[in-house]
Amino acid sequence: MPEEFLLSDDLLRQLMSVGEVDLLVGLPSHNNAKTIGCTVETIEETFQHGFPRERVVIVNVDGGSKDGTSEVVMNATLPKHPSSRGLTSLRTEHRIVTRYAAAPSPGIAFRTLLAAADLLRAKACAVISPETSNITTQWVGSLLQPVYRQNFDFVAPLYCRPKYDGLLARNLLYPMSRATFGRRIREIHSTELGFSGRLATHCLNQDVWNTEAVQVAPETWMAITAICADFPCCQAFLGPKEPVAGSSGTDIVTAVRQTVGTLFWCLESQERVWMERVGSEPVPTFGPDRELSSQKVRVNRKRIFDLFRSGVAELSPLLKSILAADTDAEIQRVATLDERNFHFDEVLWTRTLCDFAAAYHHSRLNRDHLLQALVPLYRGRIYSFLLEHQDSSPDEIEADSEKLCVEFERQKPYLIERWNAKT
Amino acid sequence: MTDRGQTLWYKDAIIYQLHVRAFCDSNNDGIGDFNGLLQKLDYLQSLGINALWLMPFFPSPLRDDGYDIADYTSVHKNYGSLDDFKAFLAAAHSRGIRVIIELVLNHTSDQHAWFQEARSSRESPKRDWYVWSDTDDRYREARIIFLDTEMSNWAWDPISKSYYWHRFFSHQPDLNYDNPAVFEAVWGVMKFWLDVGVDGFRLDAVPYLVEREGTNCENLPETHAIIRELRKRLDQEYSDKLLLAEANQWPADVSAYFGDGDEFHMAFHFPLMPRIFMAVQLEDRKPILEILEQTPQIPETCQWCIFLRNHDELTLEMVTDVERDYMYDTYAKDQTMRLNLGIRRRLAPMMDNDRRRIQLLNVLLMSMPGTPIVYYGDEIGMGDNIYLGDRNGVRTPMQWNGGWNSGFSGADPERLYSPLISNPVYGYQAINVESETRSPHSLLNWMKRTIEVRKSSRVFSRGSIGFLQPSNHRVLAYVRQFGSEKILVVNNLSSTAQAVELDLHAHKGDIPIEMSGRNLFPRIGDLPYLLTLGPYQSYWFRLRRL
Repeated sequence: MPEEFLLSDDLLRQLMSVGEVDLLVGLPSHNNAKTIGCTVETIEETFQHGFPRERVVIVNVDGGSKDGTSEVVMNATLPKHPSSRGLTSLRTEHRIVTRYAAAPSPGIAFRTLLAAADLLRAKACAVISPETSNITTQWVGSLLQPVYRQNFDFVAPLYCRPKYDGLLARNLLYPMSRATFGRRIREIHSTELGFSGRLATHCLNQDVWNTEAVQVAPETWMAITAICADFPCCQAFLGPKEPVAGSSGTDIVTAVRQTVGTLFWCLESQERVWMERVGSEPVPTFGPDRELSSQKVRVNRKRIFDLFRSGVAELSPLLKSILAADTDAEIQRVATLDERNFHFDEVLWTRTLCDFAAAYHHSRLNRDHLLQALVPLYRGRIYSFLLEHQDSSPDEIEADSEKLCVEFERQKPYLIERWNAKT
Repeated sequence: MTDRGQTLWYKDAIIYQLHVRAFCDSNNDGIGDFNGLLQKLDYLQSLGINALWLMPFFPSPLRDDGYDIADYTSVHKNYGSLDDFKAFLAAAHSRGIRVIIELVLNHTSDQHAWFQEARSSRESPKRDWYVWSDTDDRYREARIIFLDTEMSNWAWDPISKSYYWHRFFSHQPDLNYDNPAVFEAVWGVMKFWLDVGVDGFRLDAVPYLVEREGTNCENLPETHAIIRELRKRLDQEYSDKLLLAEANQWPADVSAYFGDGDEFHMAFHFPLMPRIFMAVQLEDRKPILEILEQTPQIPETCQWCIFLRNHDELTLEMVTDVERDYMYDTYAKDQTMRLNLGIRRRLAPMMDNDRRRIQLLNVLLMSMPGTPIVYYGDEIGMGDNIYLGDRNGVRTPMQWNGGWNSGFSGADPERLYSPLISNPVYGYQAINVESETRSPHSLLNWMKRTIEVRKSSRVFSRGSIGFLQPSNHRVLAYVRQFGSEKILVVNNLSSTAQAVELDLHAHKGDIPIEMSGRNLFPRIGDLPYLLTLGPYQSYWFRLRRL
């Protein structure tokens, strides 16, 4: 069997031609021909207006598109401004297109981007998702500037979200990562982010790339790695994020498996770091640190509630093996509540997650099954959130989120106790 | 001897630009002169150049280094006499060196007899030879060129109590070409020098000859009509003569000065020059490719003139704001280095005296389409003195040897028209013709060899250019072709070694022969042609089908 390499010879040839860059923007793609041309143009415009002197490259890592995505990337052209005499960016604006043989994989795409950043000695990098339909030059610039001009190593995005959007981040990922790793970064799982070449090299050199957690959510892993290794981190406000029309999005089971699975895996791999951290610290934020819009997202609350109840009933034996007895009893009690008077409070939710994280650590059952068992409980928490906040203002929702975060921080000793408990 | 019948001689020329004042002083008065220049013609011949461009040497108050002419048909006494000039001209011609002199047609000195007569009264017969106004608000759309010194294009004349028009310094009133008598007088001046035997004129400040309300007073159709008439008379009455335009404009605007081959023979390609500097600093071929893509085709009998540095500041008028800022930040960090919209420095200091970069720029100069101009002293890597005012820092005496006044003059050093460069890096003790002549690997001897190779083929002077597009943007590669002769030029613009794969399938079967060492390289085949280049390295390959 010939040895398989991450980088193809063709990609290596392209990297050799580019040489060294100041800025790299990565575009992982899979069948994004309809939107990726516009994304490329926006990135080019960012380069021309914001970074006309810098050595720049766009790297498209494609997971075997059948719709001509790569061709669109290569052919996208920014209309020339008539007064500029065509001379806006001083240097050649490079584009690299590469495909990997395997099925679409965030891990392979991300690792390829890190390798490109490392070999090109990029100073600042950004990853942009072609699944987002409203990318602006301000987005790209906001992700690159803190790294390139202010020496940050990791830039997490902040979006302006409708109040029922981003519930997984608001109710789970943010409060739990904040309480454990001690940094107040709201979006640790995002398809847009910025990072330094230094951090890219650091991450590339970690022996983690064959683990499923990193393969499915490498961006989350990078965020936590940056926090744990004390790379300077910040947040940059990007504005509203609108998915491409017709995009199916990720179903909640997959989303939990990918994001929570990676978060739990990171808790395990970074155990020594988070155990020692107390409380949490804000990170520098460029732009508003939160911006909820009052726009509502349609959700089928009834279905969420039914799935919670049926899930708890079906998974009762499994939950018993995961949860502490009092937590399990409380879950069972909550599951009997009438849907109009339903309440899944932050204390129960926090303890539930602590129990799940500890169970993941102790491998009490198949980890994938464990993560799937969390989904009905997450639905219960979300139903409660939707019920309580149907008329809440953005500020009230923010206050409630902060309450949840504080509760997570308060319960951290419980997590440690459960984590360290002998099974 | 010059070949008098070679009508396209200017295409094959390699021009050396100098100021008589700065080159060699024969009478020990501290100022260069024509007799001194004559003594140095052997040096110029050995360098390999075959044309000289002399900056203004006419009587002048010298408030703008001779570009303020007070008498068009004499020689400034500092530089000798008309007979001295004629002797020099004959000696140059006998060595195969043609001589292009400079004429400033747009304006005169305010000391010129024409202007003195014009200002003497509003009824003077010469009054209408200049542009007068009772107010200073005409032609408001015309920009001010010397931003650092002039507030307006109008100046008040207290004698005739009215304003006169000047596009340059206020002591340089513009001639009024709407008056046919002015045109006839100027043609008379040109005839005078053509009859003396000069080979051509570099006409200064061409775009500004005519003014019209509601325009920017540049490149007007009336200006072109004047040039066409001058050219017509030149062709009717003389053969083998040259008109070279100084028009600091975008290529599309300058190319209009070629007309249909009935205006100028040559014009400077101003926008290319800063982009060569930019490309080397950026280590990216993009600036050069972009400006050449915007350069229109010109008539067959016409030619661009290209240069790296000259007597003026490195002009940044024909660049974008972003490019100008970059050039300033890169090459003129010290504000003293900046003048008007440009950088008043010489080639070697701009390249931080990096021999490899100086050579690369000269290779580009010698291999790109156009007639190259070498500014005096740049062939030995002379430095500048940014602490001298205006553009005098790049106009210091030529450095001939390490002895008294660098061999330029026997006068007391205090009497020299300008201090010598004497710092440890660029001073005449370190950088001079004599020491570089003795060193086989000096910049001077490298220049001689490069000029010799350039002159070995008319491909460089007359051939077409086709750019290759290797994926490595740090490599600038092109094929020059003239008839069946082809030369491949490959330049590494970067400070590090580079590999490049060239798509040479159009030349499949040709054998590249490196032109300086005449070494054979592998025959071009089906695969991309792989070359490796050291930092700032260049190759010139003659492609032969054998």
